[in-house]
Parts: sequence; C-alpha cells; structure tokens
Amino acid sequence: MTPTISTTGLTRRYGDHLALGDVSVDIREGKITGLLGRNGAGKSTFLRIVTAQEFASTGSVRVFGENPVENERVLQRLVLVREDQQFPDFKVRHALSAASWFYPNWDAELADTLLRDFDLPTKRPIKKLSRGMRSALSITIGLAARAELTLLDEPYAGLDAVARQLFYDRLLDDYSAHPRTVLLSTHLIDEVADLLEHVVMIDKGRVVLDAPADELRGSAATVSGPATAVESFVAGRRVLHRRKIGSRASVTVADALDAAAKARAQALHLKLEPLSLQQLMVHTSNTGHPTAEEASA
Amino acid sequence: MNTLVKVARYHLVDRLQFLVLPVGVTLFAFLVNLTIFAVIPETPEENYSGGLFTLYVFMLVCGALSMTKSLPFGLALGVSRRSYYLGTILLVAGLAALYAVGIVVFQAIEEATGGWGVGLNYFRVPWLLNGPWYLTLLTSFVLLTLMFVYGMWYGLIYRRAAVVGVVLFAAAQVLVLVGGVLLLSWTDSWPKLGTFFSTLTVGGVTGVLALLVCVAGAGGFATMRRVTV
Repeated sequence: MTPTISTTGLTRRYGDHLALGDVSVDIREGKITGLLGRNGAGKSTFLRIVTAQEFASTGSVRVFGENPVENERVLQRLVLVREDQQFPDFKVRHALSAASWFYPNWDAELADTLLRDFDLPTKRPIKKLSRGMRSALSITIGLAARAELTLLDEPYAGLDAVARQLFYDRLLDDYSAHPRTVLLSTHLIDEVADLLEHVVMIDKGRVVLDAPADELRGSAATVSGPATAVESFVAGRRVLHRRKIGSRASVTVADALDAAAKARAQALHLKLEPLSLQQLMVHTSNTGHPTAEEASA
Repeated sequence: MNTLVKVARYHLVDRLQFLVLPVGVTLFAFLVNLTIFAVIPETPEENYSGGLFTLYVFMLVCGALSMTKSLPFGLALGVSRRSYYLGTILLVAGLAALYAVGIVVFQAIEEATGGWGVGLNYFRVPWLLNGPWYLTLLTSFVLLTLMFVYGMWYGLIYRRAAVVGVVLFAAAQVLVLVGGVLLLSWTDSWPKLGTFFSTLTVGGVTGVLALLVCVAGAGGFATMRRVTV
C-alpha cells in the first residue's frame, strides 16, 4: 500500500539555517501518527512542505503518491490546521462558510456541534478572538473538513485543559467513525500519548525516531533504588541518563526489560518505571538516538 | 462549483472590502463634491473634480489585500496558487466590469441633469473618460483592472520579500523608466515621443494600458508561483 505521505531526502534550508535535513519518512494510511519534537525542530516546516505551502530545497515529497505542489487532486484531499493560521478580515461564520465550499467532505453538522462545544461566537471578527478561541476555530475547520489526510500543527495553542480534552475526545470520536490519516504535531506529548499509533520524532531538522508507539512505550525504563544495587542492575545495559542523590541512584536505560530482568529488580528491591513518550523525547533530544549511543556517567 | 468561481466568491465573503467600501467611498466623495460645488457661487461652465480617482486607488489597495491578508487562508483551503491567482483575476474582471458600467450610467445621469444641476463633472474625466459611452466603458474597465492587477503584484512581492522587496520592486520600476529616458536621449528620439503623444488617441492609451495589464498580470503570476505562506 502506498504511504499517504512519503518523503525522500527532504531538505529545507533558510540561508545557513537547516530547518529540515535529509528527512526520509513514510506516514501510513489510516493511522494517527504523532510528529513530535521541540520548538523549532522542523515540525511546522515539514507540514507546510507536505501541503505545498512551502517548497523543499532538495528531496522529494509524495502525498497520495503524487507531488503536492500545484496539484489540486492532492490538495483537496487534505487539510492543515496551523497554529499560526492567518485569516482575512473575516467573522467566524465567514471562515466556516468559505471552508464549507472548498472541502468536499465538509460536515456542517459536526462544525455546528464543535462551535457549541467550544462556545465560539460566530458573529465575532476572527481578529477579536482570544488565542484559544482562534485555535478552537482552526480545530473546528480541521475536523469538520473530514479530509482523508488531516494535519494538525500544534492545534491547541492557548486552549485550556478542558477544551484540550474536548479536542482529543472529538478527534478520537470522529476518527473512529470516519477513519482517516491523522498527523498530529505536538510537544505536549503526555496528553496525546494514548491517541498515537505511530511516532515520528524530529530534532534539529532530522528524524531521530520513527516507530510504532507501542514499541516505544516499553523501550526504556528508569531504575531507582540504592546506588550500588542500581549500578549492578544496569551494568551492561545502555544508559540514557544517570542521577545520583546521596546513596540513592536513578538510572534510565534504553532496554526493553524482560520478565527475568523484572524479577531481578524486585529481588534487589529496585523500583522499575517504564519511560513515557514525553520522557523518551527529552532523553532522545539530549543524546541523539536512544539506542545508537552508549552513554556513560 | 468551479474552483475559480469559488476563489472569487471567497474574496466576496467579506463584502465590505471589495463592494461596500469602494462604492461607498466613491459616492461619499461625490456627495462632498456636490455639496461644495452647490455652495460655490460662481464657477466656470465645466467643472472637473477628479474625485473619481478614489475608486482607482481603492482598486490598487484591494488588489494588494487580496494577495496579502486573504492569501494564507485561501491556500489553506486546498487551492493551488494558480487557481487562487486566476480566481482573483476573475473577481477583478467582474468588479472592473461592474464599476465601469456604473461609471457609464452615472455619466449619463450627469449629462442629463446638466452636471447634477450645478455643472459638476464628477464621473467625467477630461480627455480620458470624456468620449462616447462605449469608449468610456472600455477605458474604465481596462484602467480599473490595471490598478487591481498592479496592486496584486505589489501584494505578492510583499508576501515574498516584505518591505525590502517592495522598495526594491519600486526602485526597479524607476530604473526602467530612467533607462527609457536615457534611451530616448541617446537616440535623439524626444521629438518622436512628442509626436507620439500628440497623436495619441484615448483608444490608443487604452491599448497601452491593456498591454500593461498583461505585463503586470504575467509578473504577478510568476511571483505567485514562488510565494509561500
């Protein structure tokens, strides 16, 4: 099956700043993929190139198997919700009616529901909306467009916790009812971790991780307890991070721990905690690829 | 619905910018002119106010806005740059036709009422828009289109290279003019230019303006292909 998005050697330079360097990645159809990375890692640039709002310096992009640049066959099947989306001097209802003409699968009912949920005033000019309300408008457009490929770039900026939860719930509901390919860029990883089926992590313009979420969840763990016991336990394992407070130590290892290791940890009275995706990103951003380097204390 | 029509409609979602303001401001300026001419005691028979100029400036501004403020959301709606540009051109043609007809109609009323009863020629511009109605219609249409398309090009340059780009763009046009002047001087062609202007007809000017529409349109399109949002 052709991946929904496929890039090969995708590179984007701005002067001597490398926004994306040699990104080769496939985004599979019908899954929710998380595009994770720090601020300025290149997530937005990637999404803008995929939607032909920006151009690649070198390398190629295929969306639905075709080049998206000036290609409406491709562009009409996708929607991008940008954190910094600029609108003309429109009122909320203007933006929604414009969107309803252009997106072939537009669901007006869903748009109305979301407007009510987010409490959006349809008659208000968009530039008078608060940051959070503007995000809510973008989310409404992004979900109601029901595009085969839904790209969400940090869609919740300025949204409070309740509205964010609402967004996650609605996204999941609508995704279950109308399966599509979703690529969600975010740095609030813990909040979305449960939604994600696949993870692509970008750091300084390069892909440092590309794996199914389930695989990553068990791929690293933190061992803590008395320093000597911890050290003997982690000996020979790949260490990502070490912290020592007095006689106690807490060490993060990039290993899938099997039943034997777990039993051994229990015998040594050590505490074992699997690393969350968010912590994994923190360590990956600090050390490069989590399994490629042998860190030493 | 055709994509180009959708783009034209997209611009008209906010009717204020392209319809209400240009018409409103032009008519407002007209009423101000009318009031002033009504209270001035003695005036020569033919008064030209030049207030119609407002509408043309408005078209320039509308053109620039269509490629700056409206562009990012437009391109976010799954439209190619080509469609966005051509759809906007469709809007331009529609608006210019509408306003050109308006000018002709108001000129007719102006003539029938003896300059609104006070000898004011607001919708009649000396020489340029002062001929038979069909020529006025054509010249107005072409000039309105030119202003809008020229504004679009400026807007796109701004999108592409911000203020520096706009300044360089304006400077480049000045250089082209200077080059023309130098060329005329070196080839001792000034008398020829004088003859050209003295024999120029309104129809000829309209032709030159139409040529400029093509130049600005092509330049804008080329700029559009490289614009990012």
